Amino acid sequence: MSDKLKQIINKQSEQQNDISDQLDDVVQLVGFVIGDEEYAVPILAIQEIIKPFTWTRVPQVPTYILGVFNLRGAVIPLIDLRAKFGLQTKKQSDETRFIVMRDGDDVAGFVIDRLTMAIRIKKVNIGPAPDTVNGDDTIIDGVGKQEDKIITILKVNKLLERNF
Amino acid sequence: MDEFQEILQDFLVESFELVEKLDEDLVELENNPEDLELLNGIFRVAHTVKGASSFLNFDVLTHLTHHMEDVLNKARHGELVISPDVMDVILESIDLMKALLETIRDTSADAGIDVAECVLKLDKITNRSEEVKSSVVEAAPVVPIAQTKIIEEEITEEEAIHSEGEPDYDNMSPDDLEAEIEKLLQERQAEDRAKREAKIAAGESVLEAPPEPEEEVDSSLEPEPEPVVQAVAPTPAPVKQEEAKTEDAKAGAPAKRTPAAVEQTIRVDVKRLDHLMNLIGELVLAKNRLIKINDDVEERYEGEEFLEELNQVVSIVSLVTTDLQIAVMKTRMLPIGKVFNKFPRMIRDLSRELNKKIELEIAGEDTELDKSIVEEIGDPLVHIIRNSCDHGVEMPADRVSKGKEETGIIGLKAYNEGNQIVIQIDDDGQGLDTDMLKNKSLEKGIITEKEADNMSEKEAFGLIFKPGFSTAAAVTNVSGRGVGMDVVKTNIEKLNGIIDIDSELGVGTSMKLKIPLTLAIIQALLVGVQEEYYAIPLASVLETVRISKDEIYTVEGRSVMRLRDDVLSLVHIGDIFEVERILDSSEHAYVVVLGLGTSKLGLIVDTLVGQEEIVIKSLGDYLKGIEGVAGATIRGDGGVTLIVDVVALMQMAKDVKATPLNESSSATSISVEKTKASDYTVMIVDDSKTDRTIMRKALEPIGITLIEATDGQEALGILKAGEHNFDAMLVDIEMPRMDGYTLATEIKKYNKYKKLPLIAVTSRTGKSDRMRGVESGMVEYITKPYSADYLSSVVQRNVNFKAEFL
Repeated sequence: MSDKLKQIINKQSEQQNDISDQLDDVVQLVGFVIGDEEYAVPILAIQEIIKPFTWTRVPQVPTYILGVFNLRGAVIPLIDLRAKFGLQTKKQSDETRFIVMRDGDDVAGFVIDRLTMAIRIKKVNIGPAPDTVNGDDTIIDGVGKQEDKIITILKVNKLLERNF
Repeated sequence: MDEFQEILQDFLVESFELVEKLDEDLVELENNPEDLELLNGIFRVAHTVKGASSFLNFDVLTHLTHHMEDVLNKARHGELVISPDVMDVILESIDLMKALLETIRDTSADAGIDVAECVLKLDKITNRSEEVKSSVVEAAPVVPIAQTKIIEEEITEEEAIHSEGEPDYDNMSPDDLEAEIEKLLQERQAEDRAKREAKIAAGESVLEAPPEPEEEVDSSLEPEPEPVVQAVAPTPAPVKQEEAKTEDAKAGAPAKRTPAAVEQTIRVDVKRLDHLMNLIGELVLAKNRLIKINDDVEERYEGEEFLEELNQVVSIVSLVTTDLQIAVMKTRMLPIGKVFNKFPRMIRDLSRELNKKIELEIAGEDTELDKSIVEEIGDPLVHIIRNSCDHGVEMPADRVSKGKEETGIIGLKAYNEGNQIVIQIDDDGQGLDTDMLKNKSLEKGIITEKEADNMSEKEAFGLIFKPGFSTAAAVTNVSGRGVGMDVVKTNIEKLNGIIDIDSELGVGTSMKLKIPLTLAIIQALLVGVQEEYYAIPLASVLETVRISKDEIYTVEGRSVMRLRDDVLSLVHIGDIFEVERILDSSEHAYVVVLGLGTSKLGLIVDTLVGQEEIVIKSLGDYLKGIEGVAGATIRGDGGVTLIVDVVALMQMAKDVKATPLNESSSATSISVEKTKASDYTVMIVDDSKTDRTIMRKALEPIGITLIEATDGQEALGILKAGEHNFDAMLVDIEMPRMDGYTLATEIKKYNKYKKLPLIAVTSRTGKSDRMRGVESGMVEYITKPYSADYLSSVVQRNVNFKAEFL
């Protein structure tokens, strides 16, 4: 048991060394799925990830804003990313999660279909957003290339920006 | 550097506090130029600021305050009479001092403001008074009034020096303190010498000295019985006294001498108080939750012994929480005098500018209000008082011809009334002319002719709060631009307050601002509509009435009802907040009568939940500005409930079209054409696995889709999720969490499921059970045990199963 523990600790410290070696050119992201696409946001923008629970509808807002919910005493807006991205709404499943993102003082919860994993990706492997969606208005920060797939990286500040 | 910053901060806070009181004192002084108490207080401010600023190397400020001090010093020695002209210069210098302090606050330096001109003026006064002084001294023995003044001053002098020093000492280094004492002693000796001569001359009039407050007793006792002795050797005694007192003051100061200065206070950062208030808010929420849990437990374990104990604890917790909340609220309270202070000066300036004679009477300045409200209330009050000066109080000549006193009086008073504070502004001016108000509004297109005709007096008064309204014939510097009063209204309403106007033509106008004591925690009425809840601030709720649907009439597309002798216009909360009507509304509805100033509105809701103390939370930047929603609160069950913004709601109600309450057609059940047996879906609700299996075995052969639920709650959840379109439900009666009857009742509340066949499958065979089943909406009643064929045939019949699928 203790040997195993040592191994793990060693492994971790090795990893940590790796990280510090290349801290500058590695971005840590959290990946999630909405519809058929995989998206990611910087891990530091995420305050927490929670299982779904009840929320309260708020009138006179676009349909993608489901309402507000109680996060340990704070009232936080809840946004359905499926609806925001123009997809059909889907019933929540066991894999549905709320991702609470924060940018400065702005906080909001986002409903996503499923989490994938924490991703380390080298900066050199992140390309700019495709030309067609370029401009200041896009919520796409860039496109991360991995061995077998590409991931759309989203701008958290744009997600948290009120545009209605 | 840090230390310097700290001292600077202290200096600024202290100076601003002192200056704040100054304006009021100065105006008071102009009316009572002989009030030495006041003069000393003012001198003290200049002196304190001078001392501290020189220590901090603010040369410009020191320069200015030094000259101010000179003038004031002359004045308090009776060598200078405070005439309006002198006062103008002093006020100007105080304004400069304020500007300098603000510059220091912003830039940590006092550069950029030219004080030379003002200093020159101050010097002029000082020099001019030199001449006056000599004449006063010479005239002293001859003019009795002057004598008394000097003696009176001599007595207060001593006190002045004490109190002058006291606030300073805490902030002084020992060296400075030493120097200060030294300086004071010298000053005093010099003054005493000067006074002695005068006093000897005026010895006989000592007894005429007006009785001073108690604190004067020991100092005035000495001179009274033996004025001559005192005059011979007065110096040592008072000095000793003074030294003793200084030390006393340092050591906590005995109450007998200067009770005001002993106030035990501590300066706390507002942020900390806000944090504390937030925590209390959390506690109030937790308390609400605890009460709710307690109620649930009481219901479930009725008669258990531990309930008593639990009850006690819960009530203690809720009691202490309430007390705690009040205590913290009190720490945030400030006397409204802080706001009132600036008005005497304003009135003075205004009356000079407008050539009117106006006097301000202030009462109730000790009334306390939450800090955040005190900060917000200032501007509206400025507007109202300006308005009273400009439009209310007439020119002196007009007043005289109307048989009124030449001087107009504006009363400003604050008092508590229940959970609210009332600020009342009265003037004895010309009053509001409703016809004139209506004509003006018609002219400006604010109202239509028809509206004008139907207007009550109160509503006509309310016109002055309309944007773009101004009654002043000419636009003056003071008012008449047509902005202001509407800003006043919005600002007051922002504080959840209301404005009430009363006026009588030719006699005067009275405005009452009613404002809640605090903003953070309020009493609210919780109402339900369909499956949603809303909180309505109780302060705006006048009453609630239960009505039946046929009491609602429609007039010109609006719902109205008769409430006693009035006609009340109604609006359904569901129309305001776009609530989907999924539940069937019952025969009865509740009307919450909302009142805001003079306007009333009936809000139709489905249920009244009750009164609760709620903590107002903001919806945050992302959702701010939603019309009709003032914020949100967290309920006992952890859910979020929106708080209704009554002001906005009244506005919105005007544009909302009434939808008929009895409408229930929208929810027609979606009947999809069945093409195969598995298109039929039936839910089996039973807590026993065996029973569910038996039912499944009986129904599987016909090929319909079966969904299982283990109790009422789960079944309701599945139904609400809407993933399946159920054609029938098989419901057991005895189930944990939610039994079959309750489930049936709940389901039947939804329009959508009105026609869904519910089949009871139970071992209960009593007649009353069957009756209950029917009452709750069950269509069939199958008793266990049953044969598989029987069950299958009952189900087939109820879902209209097409024979060809068999």
